[in-house]
This record gives sequence, C-alpha cells and structure tokens, in this order.
Amino acid sequence: MSDQKRRNFQIEAFKHRVVVDPQYADKTWKILEHAIHEIYNHNASGLSFEELYRNAYNMVLHKFGEKLYSGLVLTMTTHLKEISKSVEAAHGGSFLEELNRKWADHNKALQMIRDILMYMDRTFVPSTHKTPVHDLGLNLWRDNVIHSSNIQTRLLNTILELILRERTGEVINRGLMRNIIEMLMDLGSTVYQEDFEKPFLEVSADFYRLESQQYIECCDCGDYLKKAERRLNEEIERVTHYLDAKSESKITNVVEKEMIANHMQRLVHMENSGLVNMLLDDKYEDLGRMYNLFRRVPNGLSTIRDVMTSHVRDTGKQLVTDPERVKDPVEFVQRLLDEKDKYDMIISLAFSNDKTFQNALNSSFEYFINLNARSPEFISLFVDDKLRKGLKDFSEEDVETVLDKVMMLFRYLQEKDVFEKYYKQHLAKRLLSGKTLSDEAERSLVVKLKTECGYQFTCKLEGMFTDMKTSQDTMQGFYASQGAEIGDGPALVVQVLTTGSWPTQPSPPCNLPNELSTLCEMFRSYYLGTHTGRRLSWQTNMGTADIKATFGKGQKHELNVSTYQMCVLMLFNNADRLTYKEIEQATEIPATDLKRCLQSLACVKGKNVLRKEPMSKDIGDNDAFLFHEKFTSKFYKVKIGTVVAQKESEPEKQETRQRVEEDRKPQIEAAIVRIMKSRKVLDHNNIITEVTKQLQSRFLPNPVEIKKRIESLIERDFLERDNADRKSYRYLA
Amino acid sequence: MVCVLPGLGREKGKEGEERVVASAGKMRKEDTLKLISAEGFEFVVDRKAAMVSQTIRNMLTSPGSFSETEHGEVTFPEISTTILEKICQYFYWSLQYASGKETEFHIEPELTLELMMAANYLHT
Repeated sequence: MSDQKRRNFQIEAFKHRVVVDPQYADKTWKILEHAIHEIYNHNASGLSFEELYRNAYNMVLHKFGEKLYSGLVLTMTTHLKEISKSVEAAHGGSFLEELNRKWADHNKALQMIRDILMYMDRTFVPSTHKTPVHDLGLNLWRDNVIHSSNIQTRLLNTILELILRERTGEVINRGLMRNIIEMLMDLGSTVYQEDFEKPFLEVSADFYRLESQQYIECCDCGDYLKKAERRLNEEIERVTHYLDAKSESKITNVVEKEMIANHMQRLVHMENSGLVNMLLDDKYEDLGRMYNLFRRVPNGLSTIRDVMTSHVRDTGKQLVTDPERVKDPVEFVQRLLDEKDKYDMIISLAFSNDKTFQNALNSSFEYFINLNARSPEFISLFVDDKLRKGLKDFSEEDVETVLDKVMMLFRYLQEKDVFEKYYKQHLAKRLLSGKTLSDEAERSLVVKLKTECGYQFTCKLEGMFTDMKTSQDTMQGFYASQGAEIGDGPALVVQVLTTGSWPTQPSPPCNLPNELSTLCEMFRSYYLGTHTGRRLSWQTNMGTADIKATFGKGQKHELNVSTYQMCVLMLFNNADRLTYKEIEQATEIPATDLKRCLQSLACVKGKNVLRKEPMSKDIGDNDAFLFHEKFTSKFYKVKIGTVVAQKESEPEKQETRQRVEEDRKPQIEAAIVRIMKSRKVLDHNNIITEVTKQLQSRFLPNPVEIKKRIESLIERDFLERDNADRKSYRYLA
Repeated sequence: MVCVLPGLGREKGKEGEERVVASAGKMRKEDTLKLISAEGFEFVVDRKAAMVSQTIRNMLTSPGSFSETEHGEVTFPEISTTILEKICQYFYWSLQYASGKETEFHIEPELTLELMMAANYLHT
C-alpha cells in the first residue's frame, strides 16, 4: 500500500484478525496438516479450498511461512515413506503398476497442495530461495520412493528385464513403461540418466555384443545385415514409444557400434557372401542395406569403398591382361563397357549415387584401362566396328548412348594421342571405302571429341570429312566437263585427300592398266587446271575397284577388289598363266603387299578367282597363277579383300608407337617453351610438373623424355642453364 | 441481497430483493460462480470473469474435488461486501480491457487499502 495524499476519509478498523492467539500458528497448521492428510487419503471432497487457502495465506502473512514450509516437508515425507512401503510390498508383476498408481496419486495430491499453498509459493518461497512446492514434491518423491534402498535397484531391474523380454520377442505393457519412464524424466534429467539411461545403455551394449557374436558365427553377410537393420529399427521404435527422444541417438550408437562397427571387416570379407560376392551377383538390396548401415559408423563407407575399388581394379586388370580377351578388340571393349554399366547400376541403385563411390570407380577404371597399352587402339577399333555395322537398326538416341559410353572410356585413357592416331587411320579407311553406316553418327562422335579435347584434336578429322565432300563436287565437275570424251570407258571415282589431314602413307609405285591410266591422266590435268600450285599423287594402296568377270561356263560375277588386286587381275586379260615374278614385274607392286594380295585372290576358299600352283598357302617366288575358270559363287557380287581396319600386327604396332613418340617430342618442346616464356626461370622438377600438367589431357609425358627435350632446347639456344643453380633453367628470348 | 454488475441495472425482484440478471446471453449454472462476501452477500458472476483472479482460477482447475467446485460457490469470510463488489466490477473491466477497450477503472480512495489486500489475497 503506497503513501496516499491525505484526504478526508476514514480508515476503517482493520478487519483481519489480529494475531492475539499465541497458538494461532499451531492451530492453523493443524488445519492444513489435516487437509493434507485428507488429500493423500483421497478424501478431499469435503474440504473448502478457500478456507485452506486463507489459512495458508494468513500463516505466511503473519510470518509463519517457515513453519508452514517445514511442516509441509515433514508431512509429505511421512506420507511418501508410507507409500514407499506399500510399493515395496507389491509382488513381482504388480510392482510397476503399484508404483505407477501411487505416482499418479502423488501428482494429483501435489497439485492440490500447491494450489492451496499458492500464496506461499508466490511470495515466501522466492524470497527465501526455497524449492517451490511442485519441485519439492518431486524431489521428496525421488528421495523417499525412487531412491529408497529397496525400490531403487528393484525398479531398474524390473524395467531392464522387461526391455530384455521385449527384445526376445515378448509383448510388454508399453503404456505402463511409458508412464514409468516419464516419471523418471519428470524427476529430472540426472535421475533419468543415472537411474535408467546409463545402466540401460550398458546392458544393451552387452546384449548386442553377445547377439552379434552369435549371429556372425552362423549367418552369412546378407542375413546378418538384415538382422542388424531389424534390431536398429526396433530400438528406434522403442524410443518413440516409451523412452526419452534424446536417448535415440545414444542407443542407436550402441547398436551401431556393437553390431556393425565391431564386425565391419569380418562382414565385408566374409567368404561366399561378403561384399565382393554381392558385387559379383548384383545383389542390390543387400548392397543397399550394407551402405545404409555402414554409413552410420565411422569409416564404414570408406571400408566398402576401398574393397570395391581393389576388387574393380583386380577384375579390370585381369580383363585387360587376359591374352584371350586381347584377341578380339571389339569384345574387349564391350566387356569394359559392360563392367562400367554394371557398377554404375550398383552405385545408383544401392549406393544412392554417392559421388565418392563414383570417383573411386572412375579412378579404378582409369588405372586398369591404362595397364594395357593397346587400349586406345582397341577402343578405336570398337568404334570402327560400331560405325561400320554395329549401329545398324539403332535409333538415334541409342546411337548417342553408345557413343557417349565410348567417350566415357576415352576419358579414362592417358594416351589420348595414341587413340587419335588410330582413330584417324580407321576413319580414313571407313571414309574411303564408303563403309560408314551413318554420316551423322560419325560427325556426332567428332563433335563429342571436340568438346572433350578441344579444336586441335579434331580439326584434321573435320578436314577429312570436308575432303570427301569436296571430292564429290570435283567428280561432278569432272564428268560434267569431260563426260563426252570418257564415253563408255570405266567409271572413275576420285577422292582428293589433303595431305595434312589424312594419315600419312607412303605411296608406292604401281602400274595401272592402260585403260585406267589414260583416265587418270585426264583427271589429273582437269584438276590441276582448276587448282594451280598443287601436286597430286595417286594412292594406289588405298583404292578399290569393281570389275565384271566372265568365267569358264559363262557365269558373270562382279568382283569388288582392291586397286592392287585389280591390276593383277587385269593382267589375266592378256594371259592365262603368269608366274609370280612376271606379275611383280608388270605391276611393280611392292613384294609384301603383292604377296598378300595374291593370297587373298588365290588361297581363300570361296573367293579364289585365281588358281595357284602349287596349292600351298604361302607365295613362293616361283609360284604360278592361273585364271580359275571353274570359279563359282552363290552371289553375283563377290567381295574380295576389302581394306578393313584390323588389329595391327606386332611390327605395325611398333611402327605406330614410334610415330606417336615422334609426334610427342615437338609437343613436349612446345609446352616447355610456353612455360619458360612465362616463368623465365624455373628449376628442373617444377618444369617436369608443369609440363605434365599441361599435356595430361593428351598423354602422360615421360620425365626422361622431358629431360632430353630440355637438352635439345638448350642446344638450340632456347634455354640455358642457370649459372648459379645447376638445376634451374632460364628462358632465352 | 444486492449483486451489482456493471452495465446492468438493479431490478426489483420479488420480496423486495434485488437480483441481478446476467448480461446479454443466457447464463447457465455451469458457467457461473457464486461469490459470497463476509456479510453473506452473493455475487453471481461469469466463470470467465472470476478466473481473472489466479486464486479462483487455481481453485476451479485444481484436481480433486474441493467443495467449492462441487457446489459452484465460494465463500470469502474475510472480504467485505463493498470490496467484493468492487472486485467483481474489476473482473469485468479487466475482460473488457483485454479485448481492447481502454477505459479507466475508478477506485474510491477509501477502499484502496482493503482492495489491495483483497487483491493480494486473490492474486488479481
């Protein structure tokens, strides 16, 4: 009551009872004590709230708050001790129920008491820093009931036993469990943790340790993982039903540790059912489960990843070094693609497209593909096969898919320039023999290569396409202007190839038959007439011819042969029998090529338009050849020895490799010069690193080679050795 | 017996008693509470209004069956009629104020002391 301005009013007599009665406090307390008893005995209906409230109010007001408070503590404690006894006396099964019931009672009583003593709670308690009534009630409950010596352990054991039973499959009263656990939670997190959670976690750890030990002895990997997953889900469910949510991560950690982390290595490497077997058998579900479970434990995923990587590397290495496989390049590459598809599927279905796994897969593929030095060649052969005939009847999208997959393998190659060389060769053959299935597919692939490696890589390839187109136009022009003069002679189709774009081939001499040589001269003069300053040389080793031949019984066939073969066959227009030497002289075709050409004309069953004496496979210098009158074939058109891209023989391979090495030298030098120009001074190791980095998109340079190039550049005064530091080099402008 | 509620008139009921009728809307027994002063005056108020007092609110929401909740009436042997009347007025004013109307609650100075004590008691 604040000070008021004096006014004329009367202050009435103080209506409240003035304390004259010395035993006022005791009497009032007695009333309240009685009330508390009644409340605990479920007899509250007769009581008047207002009266009790007023009494408590008055006690506090008259400074008897202390008495009230301590009296409360005493009374409550007494009651709780009684309750404790009655709970202890409960028999086995009903122990928890009894406890639960008494707890509910206590809560109700506590609330009523608090309401009555609200005034004390509001004013006395804060000012004296005592525990508020509600918390007091909880604490007393905790101290007298829960922590009473007979109840504490019994309670814990009962709860743990029930949980154990539930784990072994029994159904327990979850509602009751929830109430009891919530009681512990209400009593404070320390109570919950100390009196329940800690022991619970320990017991659970023991339980799962034992169980996992049992399972791992008798189950295979997939089964074990199923069981582990089941247990994990069970525990999570248990938490949602009757434990504190904060316990979830703790118990899952326990399960994860005992069931998964402790047995990780053993599971992964399990015989006949471990990770490797799952990978081989495409067991997506099991793999997915393993991924999800292992994800939860430290190092789980890296374990899986490592095993997968080493497995992929091993199988890949076997694949590429298997001599059987190497015999068929197309099969070889197809197998690689199949492997990649398989693992892509596994990663997407079971490992949820985890990027780290994708990366591990990529690095493994990169590792083993480059173990076989012929991989670039094989990939090019695969592409060649597909573009010749493999993509027949494929829809446009399917074509794109196949090409994209090829590009993927291409990316793994370290020696991309080797690939480029082979690809050019094979492309040249395809274009010249007109054997490519789809022009669009070809161009599409070139575009992909350009996107991947830059313009430099593909400009020559594009040059080849341009040449083909230009040649078509040139032919049209030729026939338009010279058509009349050619008349009924053989039809000529010329492809004019720009030397730089196409793979270099020596052009050995070859004598064309007369009918043709005139025609060729006509073309040459026509062409040089329209394009001055150019030089043409005939590439007789790359051409084809279609000849009509009439055999003994008059059967006519159209033979599709190479230019060399045509030259040989045309000789037989004027003679029936020719020796090898004579043929060689007449055509001037180089020996190896001639022998091969004769072999395909005389020794191949079904295509032997010539007969050879003797009938051996090899061509001796003194062999004679006769026109085979009795040649027969089912088909009108007979294809003999088209120039097909083939796996190279050993000497050819060596040759190509040499050429590649030669081509690399200027590239290395260019890189060195580029680097030195910008850095001016650099030491040896750094040069190696930088050069490797610059060139890695094409090939992996050999450090020894780099050193040689540096020496060469020093000789030519592009660089010099630094005087002070022998290992450093300086750029000379 | 006189019970006054703001905004309402006194009525002359039967036998010279003046009774109060509740405000607009039906007044059911369950919604109301009878507050009885020291002298025996009965004030019938809305439960909602009465609950402005924390003490009364606790009383009504307490578990267990105290006699007040059973019978729907509370006796205050230590609060006089005038004070109790003022308190009832305060209840309704408080509700109005909470809904936005800002009016002044006038307290006669001579009532102040007792009113404050009662307010303390009722936790209002």
